[in-house]
Amino acid sequence: MTIIKYWSLLKHLTSREIKARYKQSFLGFFWIVLNPFCQMLIMSFVFSHLLRISEIGVPYPIFIYAGLLPWIFFQNSLSSAMSNLVENASLIKKVYFPREILILSTLLAKMFDFFLSSTVFILLMIFFQVKITQYWPLFIIIFAIQFLFTYGLGLLLALGNLFYRDVQYLFNLVLTVWFYLTPVLYATEFFPERYRWIFKFNPMSVFINAYREVILSQGQINWGSLGIGLLLAVVVYLISYTIFKKMEGTFADVV
Amino acid sequence: MPEDNSVIDFQSVNKYFYLQHQKTLKELVDAAFRRRKTLERVHALKNVSFLVKKGETVGVIGNNGAGKSTLLTMIAGVSSPTSGKVDVKGRISPLIELGAGFHPELTGRENIYLNGVILGIKEGEIKNNIGNIIDFSELQLRFIDMPVKHYSSGMYMRLAFSVAVFTNPDILLVDEILAVGDVAFQHKCLNRMAEFKKQGVTIIFVSHSLATVENFCSRVIYLKQGVVAYDGEVQGGISLYKSDVHEI
Repeated sequence: MTIIKYWSLLKHLTSREIKARYKQSFLGFFWIVLNPFCQMLIMSFVFSHLLRISEIGVPYPIFIYAGLLPWIFFQNSLSSAMSNLVENASLIKKVYFPREILILSTLLAKMFDFFLSSTVFILLMIFFQVKITQYWPLFIIIFAIQFLFTYGLGLLLALGNLFYRDVQYLFNLVLTVWFYLTPVLYATEFFPERYRWIFKFNPMSVFINAYREVILSQGQINWGSLGIGLLLAVVVYLISYTIFKKMEGTFADVV
Repeated sequence: MPEDNSVIDFQSVNKYFYLQHQKTLKELVDAAFRRRKTLERVHALKNVSFLVKKGETVGVIGNNGAGKSTLLTMIAGVSSPTSGKVDVKGRISPLIELGAGFHPELTGRENIYLNGVILGIKEGEIKNNIGNIIDFSELQLRFIDMPVKHYSSGMYMRLAFSVAVFTNPDILLVDEILAVGDVAFQHKCLNRMAEFKKQGVTIIFVSHSLATVENFCSRVIYLKQGVVAYDGEVQGGISLYKSDVHEI
C-alpha cells in the first residue's frame, strides 16, 4: 500500500501544513476555532428570524453548527487541494513520490482543524444542555465516507487546476451554490415531500443529515440514504484516482 | 535489462509535451480571437537510447532547450516517456532546487526532516545523521532551531545541499546546483561528490561548466535539439560541442 510505504512523508507534509499555520499568526490555533464559531453566531442570529426553527427540536445554533463544521471541512479541503499541486511545483518537477500524498496531507491537515473546532461544538452542547447520546461515535463512520468523497473530488480538482487555473475560480462559485443546496442552514423537512428526493443525490446533504441524526436525534440513521452517499463517494474516488494516476506522469511537464 | 550492472537504460525514448501558452480562460479566449496557437507540441527528446553502468559519472551537455532537464526528470521518474522505455534501478537522489520542499516558517531542524523524507530517507536514518547534516551545512547551532525565513540565501542553500548529500543514493542527479554558493562551499560539495564517486555511486551531472565536466566526468552525452549528438569519452564530446557553439 502506497500510504504505508510513504507514511513518514505523509506525516511530515501534514505536520508542515499544521505547524506552518499556527506559527504564522499570533493567535494560531485559535483562529481555526474562532472562524466557524463566528460564522455560526451570525447565521443563527440572521436565520433564526427567517425560518420555522421551532420545528427543529434542538437549539438553532447547535443545529447549524452540526452542519457547518462538516461543510467547512469540505470547503477548505477542496480549496487547498485545488491549489496544492501548483504550490508544490518545484517539488513536482524534481522528486518522485506518489502525488496523491500531497492531496491527502492537505486533507489530513483540514481534518485536524475539523476535530479541533468540534471541541467547541461539544462545549456548546453542554451549554445548551442537549443530551449527548450513546450514538454519537457513529459520526466517525459518516466522517470516513465524507472524507473519501472529499478526497476523490479533491484529486480531480487539483488535477484540473494544474492545467487550467480557472478551475479554482469556477469551483468556488460552484461551492457557493452547493452550500445553499445543502441543508446547513435549514432542514430538508422544510421542503415539501415531493422535492426532497433532490437532497438524496447531493452527498453533502446526505452526510449532514446523517451527522444530525446521530448527534442530535436518537441515532436513527437513514442507512439507505447513507448507502447512496457511500456508493457515490466510492465511485467519485475510483474515477478521480484512476484519472489522477493516469495523468501523473505529465504533471512535471505542465506545472 | 541486458546487463546486470546497468542502472539506467533508455530504449528509443521519445518525449513530447505540450507547451500550454494559456493557463487561464481569459488568455485562452483571447488567443482564440487572435487565432494564436493555444497548444504547441514540443518534441523534447528524439529517439534517445543509452545505457549507464553502475559507478559511471556522466556529464550531460548541450544548449538551453536541448532536453537536458527533460532527461533528468525522466531519470528521476517524475515525467514519463511518450514512447520507448526507461528503466532505472536503485535509489535516486536529486540535488534539488534550493530547498524546494522547505517551508519558511519551519525551523532548520524541522526542514531537515521534511526534506529528508521527501527525498525518501527513513526517519530513523535522518535522526542518526542529523548531527552530520548540521555539521556539513556549517550552520551555527543557534540558527538551526530558528525558522528558515530568517536565513540568508547562502545558509538556505547550504542546508538544502547538506540534506541531499546525506541521502545515501545509488544514483545522484546534479543539475547546475554548484553554480551557487561561495567558492569554499562549492569546493566542499565537489569533494563530497568525489567521495560518492569513489563509493561507486552513479552520477548524472548536467552542467554548463565544461571545465567541471572535464575534471569530474568519465563520459559525456551531448544533446542537440533532443537528439544524442555524441555519447562517449569526455574530450571528444566537449570539443564537438565547442565547435558547434563556434559555428553559431
